[in-house]
Amino acid sequence: MPGEVFNPNPVIFSTSKGSGRQSDLLAQSLWIDDILRSEDDAEDWEPIDQDEIFDLIRSIYDPEHPNTLEELRVVSAPQITVGANHVKVEFTPTVPHCGMSTLIGLCIRVRLLRSLPDRFKVDIFVKPGSHQSENAVNKQLNDKERVAAALENPVLLDTVEQCLSNARGNMI
Amino acid sequence: MESTERLVQTWMATGRDEEINEVISDISNDRLSLISVVKALGEYLTSEDSTLLQKGVEFLALVVGKIPEEKWNRQSVRVLTTFFCGKLDDTVTIKPALSGLSTLATLSSITPSEVTTIVEALIQHVKMKSIVQDVRFKVFSVIDSFMAFHRDVLKSMGKKFLDGYISLAEGEKDPRNLIVAFAIARVILIEFDIHERVESMFNILFCYFPITFRPPPNDRYGISTDDLRKALRNCLNATPAFGPLAIPVFLEKISAGSRATKKDALQTLGTCLPVYGSALARVSARKLWNALKLEIFQPVDQETEEEALKATQILVKTIYADEEAAVEFNEDIQGLARNVCEECLQILKEPEKSQAKPATKILGAFMLTTPSVAKYTISQTIPHLVQLFHNPDEASTRTPTLFLLSELIIAARHSATKSSSSGIDPPLSPFKDDVLGVLTTGLKLSGSRLAALSGLTAMVSTPHLFSDEELGFIVHHVNEILEDDEEGFFDESDTTILGLLTTISEIAPRHVSEQVLPSLFSLLTDSPPTREDVAGRQKHWRVLSTLSKLCIQAELFENLVIRLTTKLDIICFPSPQRLVIVSADPEPSAAYVHVILKTLAQALEIKSKKRHPDIPKYLDHLVPHLFNIFVALAFRSDKQPVGASEERLIQVAGQIINLVVQSTPLQRQQSYSISLSKALLNGDVTDIAQGFQKIDKASRLSIFTGSSPSAQRNLVALLSSAVIALRPEVRLPIEDIIGFLDMLLEWALGQADNDLQRLSVFHILSSILNRRADELSSFISSKLNRYWWDEIASQDVPLSRRRLAIISWIWITKALLVRKHAQAIAFAERLYGAFGDETIGWEAAKAVGAIPSADSILTKANHAEVKVLYVQRYVGAVLPRIIALSKDSSDSTRQMASIVALTSLIKSIPRAAYGHEMPVLIPLLLRGLEFPDQEIRGNIIDTFLAAAEGESPDHSLVSEHSVTLVNSMLKNCTVTETSLTRVRISALRYLAVLPKIIRYDILHPYKASVLRELAGVLDDPKRSVRKEAVDARTNWFKYKGS
Repeated sequence: MPGEVFNPNPVIFSTSKGSGRQSDLLAQSLWIDDILRSEDDAEDWEPIDQDEIFDLIRSIYDPEHPNTLEELRVVSAPQITVGANHVKVEFTPTVPHCGMSTLIGLCIRVRLLRSLPDRFKVDIFVKPGSHQSENAVNKQLNDKERVAAALENPVLLDTVEQCLSNARGNMI
Repeated sequence: MESTERLVQTWMATGRDEEINEVISDISNDRLSLISVVKALGEYLTSEDSTLLQKGVEFLALVVGKIPEEKWNRQSVRVLTTFFCGKLDDTVTIKPALSGLSTLATLSSITPSEVTTIVEALIQHVKMKSIVQDVRFKVFSVIDSFMAFHRDVLKSMGKKFLDGYISLAEGEKDPRNLIVAFAIARVILIEFDIHERVESMFNILFCYFPITFRPPPNDRYGISTDDLRKALRNCLNATPAFGPLAIPVFLEKISAGSRATKKDALQTLGTCLPVYGSALARVSARKLWNALKLEIFQPVDQETEEEALKATQILVKTIYADEEAAVEFNEDIQGLARNVCEECLQILKEPEKSQAKPATKILGAFMLTTPSVAKYTISQTIPHLVQLFHNPDEASTRTPTLFLLSELIIAARHSATKSSSSGIDPPLSPFKDDVLGVLTTGLKLSGSRLAALSGLTAMVSTPHLFSDEELGFIVHHVNEILEDDEEGFFDESDTTILGLLTTISEIAPRHVSEQVLPSLFSLLTDSPPTREDVAGRQKHWRVLSTLSKLCIQAELFENLVIRLTTKLDIICFPSPQRLVIVSADPEPSAAYVHVILKTLAQALEIKSKKRHPDIPKYLDHLVPHLFNIFVALAFRSDKQPVGASEERLIQVAGQIINLVVQSTPLQRQQSYSISLSKALLNGDVTDIAQGFQKIDKASRLSIFTGSSPSAQRNLVALLSSAVIALRPEVRLPIEDIIGFLDMLLEWALGQADNDLQRLSVFHILSSILNRRADELSSFISSKLNRYWWDEIASQDVPLSRRRLAIISWIWITKALLVRKHAQAIAFAERLYGAFGDETIGWEAAKAVGAIPSADSILTKANHAEVKVLYVQRYVGAVLPRIIALSKDSSDSTRQMASIVALTSLIKSIPRAAYGHEMPVLIPLLLRGLEFPDQEIRGNIIDTFLAAAEGESPDHSLVSEHSVTLVNSMLKNCTVTETSLTRVRISALRYLAVLPKIIRYDILHPYKASVLRELAGVLDDPKRSVRKEAVDARTNWFKYKGS
């Protein structure tokens, strides 16, 4: 990991266990063990929602710490909005001068690029007011050419892969 | 004499073992003396020609190596010792000479003077650097033998031996020799006077630390890295004299090494410190702590962190162990523990930061060192955190503070349980009131509830910490949050809350049953929540599931049974006013009864796993009550809307009855079986059904009679669940047992109305047959022949009846198979005959797989006759036949059915049973993947998944089929091709595994197309499928050549 550490001792938040979905609650049957039987019902369509997108990015590692983005509250479910073919992800750097913000954003972008159907347009922003060079970061993250160029850089790609190495398994 | 010479000459020419053996047998039988052998060798042993000389010495060494112990005398030992020692300086003869010496060294007749001679000769003549490994090994083994048998001689040689040995051992590199050398070194370090040679010994040992040796693949000698590591470690911690020299080495290796080095260094440090002593530990404490601290606060991985914590513990223990007695009197502790505590407390001023966690771990580790350090740590940290919690400025950090506090309490509990035998108060006692105050406050805040609960659980389970009243106080507080929290109903913390209450209920059940249970029971209404009331139903489910986990302890369970059975009566037999509402929509009531029964069944299941002794008594309370309710419902089925016709209710009730009867002792089962058979044969249930509902004594349940109502017939399931749990010694008092079994079969095929009734009857049949197979041989043979041809093979029988007969066949075969009855395989083999039959071929094929599958009827818990390895026996007989049938393409119907049989068989047996056949199976399974039947495809993919577990890219069985597999999986994971979610998930899982088990150069041509296809699957309608697709796609993205 190159250079200085921007935030040597960040605040760790406890993570919540799996996200209870409102839609699941409403579809309850009268019988207690009916849930299993209805699962294979090919009829109903479960749309991609903000919890599902959060599940995809919550376990990405922070490039600086052995903690996940969820533990550092860099990302959270309410900061994600999902439209018909549009996803907007907002994230909060731990400190305003965090030089890793672009890298974190890039990790989120790569993860979603690989895990969402290509009909979705993904926009990634830092939370307004949470970073000193907010515009520069936002511009960089949402510029197709620049993202593509960044991913041509083998060292950078390797760092991204490392942050993503955990991005599976411990999802609920 | 002459013959000896001839033998010698022959050997010189051939080098065979026969000649040696002949010489040995001559010596053993006293026909020849050792001297004469030497004489016969004379010309060789003095030869100028080095080849002849070498051969001569070698012959002698070989003979020496085989002479029986009792033929040796001092004289010959001495002569040979001198002779072999004399040959050490010659590179030609050193090898045989050493092997001769290594034999001599083990002899009991060797005297100290020869030992000295040999050792001196070794030191003087042997140049270790110029000889090969196995010769060096001989040197070490000679010294090793002396260490074992003549240690005092070596000791008396003093420095001469030490210096000599050091020069011999220096620079050794072969692991086989090192293992011996380390063993010798340990003895030297412990027993010899080494104070003048500490540094040299240190040099020849610490140069190997840390061990980086890795055994080559296919290592023949079986020396692992770990063996060497342990052997070396035993040398390093053999003497305190190494201490001052060793500490800097450890420090360097810890800070500069790789992960493996770090771990080794930390572990070795841990074993060495106690030997090196407290004085040294105290002097180097600061330096060591600085190195260890780094590994704890910035760990490279979890393992290293744990090792560093352990090493810290040992360091603290070493420092403070011997002053323990003195410190008991004054609370104050000086030195390292104090400094570290202060350092950690400084960090703990910001409990929400990431460094606080490792700091807490260190403090927790301290509590497990010595009692005084533990006491000191607790007295410093607990008040600090308590104060922090109460500080209004720090309100935002209350949750993390509580979290750390409960971590510390857990550590304190460990330290208390460790020392509880001595009967002293747990170290936490002086602070328990403060801590309890903090925790109960934390309990009220939703954010910190989880942490508070785990802290409370740890405190409650600390022995001797709380009085009965204090436990009551805790229960009171917990109960308050249960009552307050109407909406969320202790959301995520429910398992933790349950954990706490269960822990308390084991110590003081009274508090839980008096305070918690009433309020929980009061949440359960007498009438079910309406169809629309989702939230109400959720609440009921949560309360009941809580109860099922909480009421395990005998007193609480009794309470649960009483309350819930009463509730059952009220719901099943509603008052006339309610009856109208229930009749309009009976389903909510039935579902409510179902979940209540389920609660009882779950609690019983936990109890039965823990083998609680109070289960049998419910044969007289709970079981008759259930029978009473269901019999009453069946008799009045025309008037009662919630009916015995609901199969799900009967199944759960059956489960409860089964669990109770299982754990009933033999004698009680005997008497119970009489009542059971009355109900089975005559429908007389007066003995087994007792409860609140009035049942006319004269009325008889009609199950097997011609036109009985379905509601009454269903009750056969309840009777069956009791019958299947009877012990083999208990026999249902039925006179004509064969007639009874035949009646059951005929009834199941011809009259029963549903699968529940049929299966119940098959279960009864199967468990009776299983227990009494020996006396039922005529029944068995009539089934094997007549029944097969009349009911299954015959085309004249209606299809539905033939299908049912196949199911009965499965159960008959199962009963015989699990007890390894001789006829079991014959029954299974009958099924092959039906494979060619287009109408029932597949049913018969699936039955082949169903027979060995695990079930809940014929189990040890149900006291069935179960022999070990019956599955293996079945597979051994059936699998080869099925494989042969699957390969035979003469009849395509039969071949298809065989492949179906194959997949269903593999599905139900453990992998070890068919693993060796995998190469043959794979092509057959691939054919099955083409079948339109999705269930079968799913089973095949699951088989591939199970097989993938033991595979690696280097030897993968499937790599030659990779194209077919990839294409087939891609087909099976798209929603348009495969409608079953289960199959799509399996296909995606297998796609995710493929990159791990097939070499990159084989699979990489498909990477692009797999990624493209999977992009489409990311849009699957099912969330669970999308998740698997993401994982599979991630694996393929990461799939790169090395």
